[in-house]
Amino acid sequence: MFKLGNIEFNSRLILGTGKFSDTATMIKAIEASGTELVTVALRRFNREKPSDDLCAPLAKLKNVRLMPNTSGAMNAKEAVRAAQLGRELSGSPFVKVEIHPNPHHLMPDAIETYLAAKELAADGFIVLPYIPADPVLAKKLEDVGCAAVMPLGAAIGSGGGLSTADMIRLIIRDSNIPVIVDAGLRAPSEAARAMEMGCSAVLVNSAIAAARDPVAMARAFALGVETGFAARQAGLMPKSDIAVATSPLTSFLK
Amino acid sequence: MNLIVNGEKYEHRGDGTVSVLLAELGAMPEHTAVTVNGDLVFAKQWKDFKLKDGDTVEVLTFVGGG
Repeated sequence: MFKLGNIEFNSRLILGTGKFSDTATMIKAIEASGTELVTVALRRFNREKPSDDLCAPLAKLKNVRLMPNTSGAMNAKEAVRAAQLGRELSGSPFVKVEIHPNPHHLMPDAIETYLAAKELAADGFIVLPYIPADPVLAKKLEDVGCAAVMPLGAAIGSGGGLSTADMIRLIIRDSNIPVIVDAGLRAPSEAARAMEMGCSAVLVNSAIAAARDPVAMARAFALGVETGFAARQAGLMPKSDIAVATSPLTSFLK
Repeated sequence: MNLIVNGEKYEHRGDGTVSVLLAELGAMPEHTAVTVNGDLVFAKQWKDFKLKDGDTVEVLTFVGGG
């Protein structure tokens, strides 16, 4: 069990809802993952395709909360407005602050993200900012009242894995709030590794939505997260630079 | 009444309230958020909120996103 703001979660897997081929598959993947928190994005209502609306199918899921994101925002001001709209629409106090002005790499703008997160936390949101894997920034976001920090493992949608592992370890070491790896994960083994390292949860979207079988992959990520967390609780053995024998090295064969 | 709705010119024939505009557009009110000239208009205000000629209206909903 871990807490975001004042809300407790059993599942340590957060799902993104983008890129799924169809809504039915997305819903099945959410169910298979056991997640209790999913991200959604705001878009203009499309008169031609009202079926794009996710509110109705998501509202049918029990025990799944919504976390609107601020994608599309180019700066703090736009992100704050997107967050307010998301709260009005979802009734949810959660917001994933994401501000990434460059479509080529989608790297988060640390300065605008900090400003938006500070304002939204003061306004009572449960703020989860998507950030570069920077321990100094992470600590400052904790200080202004964020409920968690979400450093990237690799670029959004890249499947680059935990390329920022060393920095994420530093963030975890100093953090008093949950650290959640968001973006870049491709394989459940990477989710397991993030959990073994001390992350409180992981946020996965593309790796599930773009898998050949998204529903089966959602289950695989749930198992990866569970395995990694169980391993951390069990306590990994210390590393050694030399061999440490497991069998007795007696000399009776001489 | 001429409005800009979601970035496009739109001729509204109703009574000029947000509620009637949403019905005209076929949007599900419980799944919709609305801004008028950049300001959030809360759902509880929609019945009484009168739009003016030339207003810019954004009608927003949730889609998939990570």
